[in-house]
Formats: sequence, structure tokens, C-alpha cells
Amino acid sequence: MLTKARLIVLLSSLLGTPLLLSSCGADRSGSAPVQLSEGVPVGAVLALSGNANVYGQDQRLGLNLALAARNADGGINGTPMRLAIEDSGSDDPGANNAMTLQINRGMLVVIGPTLSQQAFSADPIAQRRGMPVVAPSNTAMGIPQIGHFISRVSAASDVIAPLSIAKAMERNPGIQRAAVFYAQDDAYSTAETAVFQKALAAKGLKPVTVQRTQLADNDFQNQISATLALKPDLIVLSLQGVDGGNLVRQLRELGYAGPIVVGNGMNTPNIYPICQKYCDGLLIAQAYSPELATSANRAFVKAFIANQARSGQGPVIPPQLTAQAYAALQVVGEALQRLDKRTPLKGLSVSAARKALMDEILGGTYQTPLGEIRFTPEGEVIQKDFFVAQVRMDPNGKSGRFMLLK
Amino acid sequence: MGAAFHDASLLQQMLIGALLGLSVYLPLSCGQLSLATPGFYAIGGTTAALLSTRVPALGGGDPTYPLSSVMLEMAVAALVSGLLALGIGKLVLRLRGIYLAIATIALVEILRVTTLNQEALGGAVGIFGIPQPFNNPGGYAAFTLVVLALICWLFARLEDNRTGRAMAAIRDDELAAACQGIDTAQTKLLAFVFSALVAAITGVISAHFFNSWNARLGNFDASITTRAFVVFGGSRTWLGPVVGGLLLTALPELLRPVGDLRLIVFGLVILVGPLLAPQGLVTPERLQGLGRSLQGLRRAPGGGEPTEALDPGPR
Repeated sequence: MLTKARLIVLLSSLLGTPLLLSSCGADRSGSAPVQLSEGVPVGAVLALSGNANVYGQDQRLGLNLALAARNADGGINGTPMRLAIEDSGSDDPGANNAMTLQINRGMLVVIGPTLSQQAFSADPIAQRRGMPVVAPSNTAMGIPQIGHFISRVSAASDVIAPLSIAKAMERNPGIQRAAVFYAQDDAYSTAETAVFQKALAAKGLKPVTVQRTQLADNDFQNQISATLALKPDLIVLSLQGVDGGNLVRQLRELGYAGPIVVGNGMNTPNIYPICQKYCDGLLIAQAYSPELATSANRAFVKAFIANQARSGQGPVIPPQLTAQAYAALQVVGEALQRLDKRTPLKGLSVSAARKALMDEILGGTYQTPLGEIRFTPEGEVIQKDFFVAQVRMDPNGKSGRFMLLK
Repeated sequence: MGAAFHDASLLQQMLIGALLGLSVYLPLSCGQLSLATPGFYAIGGTTAALLSTRVPALGGGDPTYPLSSVMLEMAVAALVSGLLALGIGKLVLRLRGIYLAIATIALVEILRVTTLNQEALGGAVGIFGIPQPFNNPGGYAAFTLVVLALICWLFARLEDNRTGRAMAAIRDDELAAACQGIDTAQTKLLAFVFSALVAAITGVISAHFFNSWNARLGNFDASITTRAFVVFGGSRTWLGPVVGGLLLTALPELLRPVGDLRLIVFGLVILVGPLLAPQGLVTPERLQGLGRSLQGLRRAPGGGEPTEALDPGPR
């Protein structure tokens, strides 16, 4: 019979072998030359499964559209761009794994991860190993501050969220009793509600109630009854798409008729099937408007509509997440092009190319569907245009759009 | 697939999975269905996150966080969760079966909601920027491997001594065990506390490895996942949860080439595993069979009959 001690030795050696192998080749990915045989390697880490998957799907579409546009335009000075998208699930270990995988594969830059919470976990890995990250949708404060290699094209919520409160006050100057909802177990919701509550306080409104929900909740009857008893005339939600959609529906069903301001989590047409006709009238501040009249945006909207007609499903108006993902890949493509012209990628090692690419990304000005964007030296986005939109549902209650409010 | 497997960070997560599997296994090895592991895991993680980010003295002057401070965090985390397990165990271990499971789920929920509502504990955003004692995942994996080997050695010792046999006796029949003079309450409490210690130590390692810590890492989902490690790997010997934890943590990553279907395939594996091997992958019987065939192989070069050596022997 096999003794226990021998079993432990056997087990340790079994586990130790791949460890040794990996430690021998640990940083081989950095010093090797850039692999251009299949195209210029660009990675993405998106939440394609788990509770944030609706965002990841929107983003994947934006990346693929931007990739097609770049490669139709000659790629990176003649070499096509190659995009490898990895699923992060919707949790931190998943994002860490996907990020590490992209680093080891010799990608030059990573677009992602989808959620701020994942970014706080995975971005330090990228920072330590010198991997440029362009975040397409992280809105929490402190993301570019993780390090030199971390940047984002998504404006922070403390810049955007107060705009919708201001718009609601402008439309209904008589508002006096605001009620606030947020998911207390979600990083995005808790961060954004702080911004909202600060904006309300700045307008002299102290919330009559602050209701806490859970990300996985579907039934909000108790919180809503308690809130409606206080007769609010403005309700402010910092919730994700699914729970937020359900809450809006139940608010309206239980008789609330006043204005509702929602945060970035509900900034997706994927809420339409959830709250249906009750989505109508939601106020939201956006970093993207499909109605922006620039050539970059018109080209993007056209490509989006053509793609939706081909696939025969989904919204016909591009969501913000798709536009931001498109902008992220566009930024990466243009920076790669400039870099390659100056120092051809062919001769560079992966780590040298990554470092030079990061400087190139931060140095440029980009005409994207979001309007003109630049970066601070820290990697924070400088965006010119923000918008406040209102959801307008079609009479059938199935489809709708974010109508820009002037 | 190769890229995923040769990466030490996956190996590190597998090792964490194995440690958590062991933590769930311990109460189960004396018949107690406890789902409290993620609660103590969260205590370990939060302790490490708090100490390493809020106490500058622990960081030393180095860019890499000193290993001695990690050890200190482990000691503090073990002490906190050990005391909590002692207090709570005395109460909840009077419950049996599904009632104990429910009570331990409640414990996990209480800890989670407390963390969410205390800004000092990180709230929903969690604590990030946790300093790193190692510069690459290989260092973590080597360190965790040592911890795992040590704990495995303790488990192996335990199964051979009086306490381990008492635990096995309680698992088979608590009443009979009590009649033989075994202090069942004491033995069950010991298993519960030791399980909490393993989980807390694992939490300390995880917090550093993940860079950030938040309440979602130790929630009810984690209870079920860690429980699956034991069901899948086998709950009759300590090697079962280790194998289960390693395999089930690695599988979603190894299935990446499958693309969008990978979680469906993963679910199928979890479903089919217990159907084909209801006792889990690793059972004492299978280990004995393996032991015999290995012994046979070793004897073969020394002049034994090769045909005989390849015979796995009667099962």
C-alpha cells in the first residue's frame, strides 16, 4: 500500500513540475520579438459571462466594428490588426486570469476589463508587467491612478452623473423630495450613488430616503412602498441593468409618476426588454450620443446599423458601451500606426513595444464617435462633449431609444 | 491550452482551490455538513487586506512586501477566525445535517453583509492596492505549495491518529461513537475550528495574490463551489478535496478554447462527475488499487515477472 508520506511527495512533485516549467519561462513573453505573423496582436478582456455579460456583448460588437474599420483601412501600415478577446467572467479571479493570459500571449495592449471592480484587481498585474491597458467602460474613481500603464476612454462617473441631476432640476424646478436607490453590494453602484448624493446636496436637496438593494434582487416592493410613503418627486437610481430595469418597472407599477434619473449601469438598450414601456422617460447622462454630428460618429453609426441589419437582431441605435469600446480600439489602432511609422514594430521586443505604445497612446488626440478625446499624462480621458438623454419607448413597448435633450 | 496551463497564476488559483477543498472536507470527515468555509476565508482575506494596507509598519522599507508580515497576518487571521469558530462552533454544532448547513450559510451571510456596511472593512468597493510579497505568480505558487504540503501532511497524520479515527467513527455513526467513549462534541468542534484556520490562512494568501479584496469573494456562491470540490473529488480521504479543488479550479481556464460554450461544458462536467463516481474521483479503494499497481511497477526492474507487475491485482 502506498504510504501517505509518499503520496505527498508524489503530489508535490506533480504540482511542482509545471511550476518549474513556468518559472523558467516566466518573462520569456517580454523579451521575445513582437509576433506579427498573424497580424498586430491586440487583446481584450471582457465580461462575456456572469452578471455583467450584457455589457460585454455590447463591447465585443464595438471592438469588432472598430477592428473591421481599421483593417479595411490598411490595418497598421499594411499589417492587419489581430484581436483576441478573452472572457473574464464577471469576477476578479476571472479577470486576473484573462489579463495574465493576454500578457503571456505577447499581446501589445489590452482593452478592458469591463467592470471597475475587475480593473482594481487585474490592472495592477498589467501595471507590474508593463502591459498597456485602455479601459473602455471603467467609471470608478482611481482607475488611471493604478499606474502609468493604465488609461481609460470612459469618463469617470463624478464628471458625468451630476449632469443628469442638473437636467432634471432644470426641467422640474419644483423638485424638493429626492429618493435614492443603490445596490449596496456593488462597487459601481456604491461609488456612483456617492456622486449622485453629492450632486443632490449641491442643489440643496437632502434625500428623503436612501434605499439599499442587492445586485441579485428582483423584488423591490418593500423598499418602494417605504419610499412612496415619503412622497418623493425625484428618484435617483445607481443600479445595474437587470436589477435597475426591474426596479423601474415596479416603481411605475406601484404608481410613481415623477421623474427618474438613472446612472451609467442602465446606459444600455438591454434594459428595454426588462422595463419595457415603463422605461419611458428615464433621464440619463451619457458620454456618447448617437446623434453627435461628426464624421467619425456617422461612420460608426452606419457600420453599426449595417451590422445589426445583417445579424437581424438587437438595437438599431448604438449603445454607449459599444461606442466606447469602438473608441478604445480606434485609439489603440491609431497609436500603433504612429508608433510603427516611427519605430517599426518588426524589430522591437514585446516589452519595448508595449512601453513605446503606452507613450504613443497618451500622446495623441483622437476623433472618435465619442467626439474628440485626449489623455492626461496619468491616463485619464479628456472628453469634450457630454450629453443628457431621455429614454423614449416605442408604442409597442419593445424598442426605444435614448433621445438627446438639448 | 498550453499557455493557460504553464502559467503559474492558474496553478496558484488551483492550489487555493485545493486548500479551500480541504477546509470544507474537515467538518465533513466527521459527518458535519458545514458551509462556513467562505466566511472564514473572507475573515482571512479582510484581515490581510486591512493589515497590509493600513499598517505601514508591516511593509518594511522594501518595494516587495516582507514575507514575515504575511506570516504575521496569517497568525492574526488564524487567531480571529479560530476564536470565532470556537464560539460559534459550540452553539451551531448542536445542529445536525441540513440545519447545520443553514446555520453556517447564515454565518457567511452575516459576515458578508457586515463587511458591505462597514466602510472601514472596505464596503462594496472592497480594499485594493494590497502590497505584493512576490513579484510573479511563480513565487506565490511556490509559497502556497509549501503551505498546502504542510497542511496535507497534517491531514495525513490526522487520519492515522486517535483524533482522526474518532472523526471517522463519528462520521459512520455518531451514536455508536459516543457509546465507545468518544467525546463527540469536542471532536466535532476541533474539526470545525481547524477547518476555519485552514480557510483563514488561505484567505490571507488570496488577498495578496488577487491584489484586491471584496465581500463578494466570500459569498454563498463560494460555499457551493467549495462544496463541489469535495463532492467531485471525494470525501473519504484528504486527497479527494485536493484533487477536486485543483481540477475544478483549472477546468474553466483549460476550457477557454471551447469559447462561449466553456461554462456549459464545465457545468456538464460537474454534473457528470458525481453521476459516474458517486463517491468522488478519489476513494480509499482506488488509492489502494493505485498503490498496488505502483508497487508492482517498482518491483518489476528488480527481477520480478513483468507480466505480473502490470497486473493491477484484485480489486
